[in-house]
Amino acid sequence: MSRHGAHHPRSVVGKRMPLVDARRKVTGSGVYTEDIYLPNMLVARILRSTQHHARIISIDTTEAIEVPGVAAVITGAEYPNKFGVIPISKDETALATEKVVYVGDVVCAIAGSDLYAVEEALAKVKVAYEPLPAYHKPEESLEEVPEKIHPLGIGKTNIHRMVDQDFGDIEQAKRSAAITARGRFTFQGVTHGFTEPHAVVARYEVDGRLTVWTATQVPHYVHRALSEVLGIQMHRIRVVKPMVGGGFGGKSDPFPHEMAAAILSMRTGRPVKLVFDREEVFLTNHGRHPTSTRMEMTASEDGKLTGLDIEALIDGGAWSSFGVISTYYNGVLSVAPYDIPNFRYKGRRVFTNKPPSGAMRGHGAVNSRFAAETLVDMIANELGIDPIQLRLRNLIPPYTDTVNHFRITSNGIAECLEVVRKASDWDSRHGNLPYGEGLGIGCGFYISGSALPIHWDPARFPQSTVHIKIDMDGGVTVHTGAAEIGQGSDTVAAQVVAEVLGLPTSMIHVKAQDTDLAPVDLGSYSSRVTFMMGNAARRAAEQVRDELTAAAARLTGYAAELFTLEDGTAHCRSRPAVQVPYMRVLHEAIADRGALVAKGCYRSPPMGGSFKGAAAGLAPAYSFSAYVAHVRVEPQSGFVHCDKVWAAHDCGKALNPLAVEGQIEGSIHMGLGQVLSEGMRYHKGQLLNPSLLDYKIPTPFEMPDVEVFIVESDDPEGPFGAKEAGEGPLLPILPAVGNAIFDAVGVRVFDLPITPDRLLKAIEEQGAADATATSSKQGSTATGRTKRGYVAGGATDEPGPALSRNQR
Amino acid sequence: MNLPPFVLHQPLTIDEAVATFAQHPGEADWLAGGTDLLPNYKWRLNAKPHVISLHRVEGLRDLTPTHIGAMVTLRELEGSAELQARLPVIPATARQVASVLLRASGTLGGNLMLENRCFYFNQSEHWRRSWEPCMKAEGDRCHVVPQQELCYATFSSDMAGTLCALDATAQLLGPQAGREVPLQELYLFDGIRRHARTPGELLIGVRLPECAPTWRTGYRKLRLRGSWDFPELGVAISIQIVDGALSRLRIVLNALEQAPRSLDSVTKPYVGGPLSDQAIEELAAASFERARPYRNTSFPPHYRRKMVPVFVRDLLRHLRDS
Ligand SMILES: Cc1cc2nc3c(=O)[nH]c(=O)nc-3n(C[C@H](O)[C@H](O)[C@H](O)COP(=O)(O)OP(=O)(O)OC[C@H]3O[C@@H](n4cnc5c(N)ncnc54)[C@H](O)[C@@H]3O)c2cc1C
Ligand code: SF4
Repeated sequence: MSRHGAHHPRSVVGKRMPLVDARRKVTGSGVYTEDIYLPNMLVARILRSTQHHARIISIDTTEAIEVPGVAAVITGAEYPNKFGVIPISKDETALATEKVVYVGDVVCAIAGSDLYAVEEALAKVKVAYEPLPAYHKPEESLEEVPEKIHPLGIGKTNIHRMVDQDFGDIEQAKRSAAITARGRFTFQGVTHGFTEPHAVVARYEVDGRLTVWTATQVPHYVHRALSEVLGIQMHRIRVVKPMVGGGFGGKSDPFPHEMAAAILSMRTGRPVKLVFDREEVFLTNHGRHPTSTRMEMTASEDGKLTGLDIEALIDGGAWSSFGVISTYYNGVLSVAPYDIPNFRYKGRRVFTNKPPSGAMRGHGAVNSRFAAETLVDMIANELGIDPIQLRLRNLIPPYTDTVNHFRITSNGIAECLEVVRKASDWDSRHGNLPYGEGLGIGCGFYISGSALPIHWDPARFPQSTVHIKIDMDGGVTVHTGAAEIGQGSDTVAAQVVAEVLGLPTSMIHVKAQDTDLAPVDLGSYSSRVTFMMGNAARRAAEQVRDELTAAAARLTGYAAELFTLEDGTAHCRSRPAVQVPYMRVLHEAIADRGALVAKGCYRSPPMGGSFKGAAAGLAPAYSFSAYVAHVRVEPQSGFVHCDKVWAAHDCGKALNPLAVEGQIEGSIHMGLGQVLSEGMRYHKGQLLNPSLLDYKIPTPFEMPDVEVFIVESDDPEGPFGAKEAGEGPLLPILPAVGNAIFDAVGVRVFDLPITPDRLLKAIEEQGAADATATSSKQGSTATGRTKRGYVAGGATDEPGPALSRNQR
Repeated sequence: MNLPPFVLHQPLTIDEAVATFAQHPGEADWLAGGTDLLPNYKWRLNAKPHVISLHRVEGLRDLTPTHIGAMVTLRELEGSAELQARLPVIPATARQVASVLLRASGTLGGNLMLENRCFYFNQSEHWRRSWEPCMKAEGDRCHVVPQQELCYATFSSDMAGTLCALDATAQLLGPQAGREVPLQELYLFDGIRRHARTPGELLIGVRLPECAPTWRTGYRKLRLRGSWDFPELGVAISIQIVDGALSRLRIVLNALEQAPRSLDSVTKPYVGGPLSDQAIEELAAASFERARPYRNTSFPPHYRRKMVPVFVRDLLRHLRDS
């Protein structure tokens, strides 16, 4: 039982229940931004840059404004105020002011009575550009250039951010290591692929107030950015978040189209709706950075990991977005779940003239995790130690600090590993399956809420606040700024409050969509909502509970402390016969005083080191996970079928196991895309596949059977012991599949996605290498093919072999 | 994305349809299920001011093992018990087209007359403006094979491969006359002209040889995902073995070039002989030699080419041993 004095068996928390908005979703009755129709509303579209990098000489809109039905045409010059999600790297404007920096950049926006009029007008806008040299390769952006992409580039380069961290003595670790595994990994950019395209409705009213309905993960940041760009005080702006059809990080920045719609409404005095088509979603991107990672891992002869050296070059595309944080996360989130005493990280984020990268589920950690788990596997293989065994030997214990001073609390990684080991029959099957079939393991580690809030004064303001109101009708209204984006945060709020008050969730009404009503919450990113909003909700509910038990005491004459609220009744613990129905207690509580109101809030405790960048990656808790994947590889074609995954995730406590399972299954689907098929493909900087047909998100046919194991380590600070389950579960699937491919055909591919053509090439190269090799480590299999370790691509262009052993 | 404005015609008979088209020479398109035409229209790819819907036209929905009307949907082909019993390769091929939803609208006629595809063509107006439109759209050069005057856009219809292997005949009706041509001959190796057919000629349906059910015919499709991806290679093979010798052998490579290619000169010498393992290897190797994919689909061309012998070998073995 958790330390959070739950003094009766839990009746809501821990129970499987459909999300509270599920019915609205599956029946189509939910209202998304695009479903909003206001009287007299205009529609708007954006004219986007056709240039990769160019100075705007002039924009001639005279013919456009003449098109019948057109109400307003706006360009960037009048709104030069910059915005950006990270305060120290604001670089975007509502519309391009002097330059365009990628194909898709926002040049002009037009509102009119219908789309045909607007599109006709867009075609009549004449933009004169002076083309500038464009930079598409991140390596080029490390160099000095005549014309930087924008001023945030360091010196004369297009480097956005440099991170250098060094803990312990990595050089010494390399010198004394018995074995070093290394690789150069490349990761194509991937994008979120959420169902609902970006959409916004803006209405500026005669009284000078602006309301913006928008598909966002963070109403509060949109609120701030609108105020900055438009020069209107925040209290005169209201941001409403209707139902959101997925975000995965792609809707956590404030965006130019939100500003553009607001400006158009202010110009016309009419409501304006702007909805993206799918290509615009791809161009707006903010997905995972295209990355090349060079990683080295050292170990002793008995399989103790001793050092980790990471160098990452991440391609930020045209804007900063969350890039400062992404740069850190690509390194620092690799310090666990293994206890590695020597750690060095060199990270570089650069600007290129491509669609901007940003935060995407598993922000910053996914690519490095793939690399690290691959190297662990290589070491295990070389030392002849079972890969799960080797991992178990190296786990960081609970309630310790990592080498870079992350405070680890609850930690169920060992149990995760043991569970999937057993369920997958690992010990007898790994290494023993016929050629073409394999099992692979991967672990994960992720923050449960960033302890350092963006845009905030951590010493003073809470990260989440929740208000509760109960009036005569008995219904409980919960106000929170946490954004329900499909992940289930409204359900978490309802469950937590229901649990504390002993009421069914059907009596809890969560209002999470309106900055006029909701107290500030920092939004849905960094897997923070269950932990932070959940704690705030619990605290608010406990205040209400105390008022109710006090009322029960007044009614019965027994002490308030003796009462528990359960099943809609106040029960006296010492006298089971003494019971008062909830409504009676409530009416007693509000007599003479009116509706009960309460608030609770959460702020993470002080923690971490004091070096530069010490706060990046700090969290009040961390999630852990371990997956085993089973794959079948067709050696003739290079096709990989992942047909089964055993997934164990430590989320502290599953407030709603059904929702946790959903997150894990969805994560596996998403991760399989990145490891096997998805990638944003460019030809000379031009995105070749900006459509859901050509960008290969797995279909249900690719979805494996998933067996979920929820590990509950009961976090001391989480609400009812809970931690996150939204992002961490993505991490292990990629390396589990990569390692399973190795177990199946003895080949490693370091370049993602591992498409059939890439894998086939590696298998063929291995065949050629085998033909000349005299011995093979794992020997021949039944089919006569060997599973000898072969590393394709990246690793081979390194100085020295992918694996080296020191002679002693 | 919105459709460009056009006039929609909804004729009731075949004759009326053909006559309506003839009134708008060069300015009309046929519309069947619309799953190919309308996405292209939304991208403003060669959209026409007149669209003639075949939905209400009578006489285009025959479905027998010897005659299939152009307006039969792919779902109907998939579910036809008669075809399943006599020519199971047709439902099996149909099942691999696009996705369930698209197959519910998509028709055989639309599938056989599918617009050719290319990475540089199937893109939005904004995309084409920021790159440079090619000659299949509004430009004047090719980004795939720049030196050439020809367009290499890939023909990606699954049904066409199988029906060519089955020696299907296309029935066409134009304003002057009707005619029947072997389906294979209808296709041209030119990504823009595509068909030896005047635009006003309506595909009424396809005829299949009476003896086709006695052949063993199969289809293999290369695509990354198990649903809705277009083929990046299709191999259709039809054989007949009488007394241990091949009395018929047709190999069609599809979705590699601008049209399906029947490898008749490769297969001819093997007719009359046994389909030995060695023959299979030789046929696989020869098919590889004849395969010429271009760099305009998702998989790299070298990979698509490499898969040709793999598919040919597997399918020949499968047909021989089944
Ligand atoms: C996401 C997606 C995936 C797809 N995947 C596949 C796939 O895997 N394999 C595949 O083969 N196809 C695929 N398609 C293409 C298409 O859906 C199918 O080929 C479908 O069968 C086309 O039929 P339709 O009736 O919808 O054609 P329409 O769009 O109505 O017509 C297609 C073309 O044929 C012409 N046409 C139609 N009927 C006639 C006729 N009777 N006479 C003369 N001309 C005619 C039209 O003018 C038009 O040019 C896919 C499409 C999409 C959007
Ligand atoms: S092959 Fe060339 S001409 Fe044809 S569509 Fe592609 S780029 Fe255009």
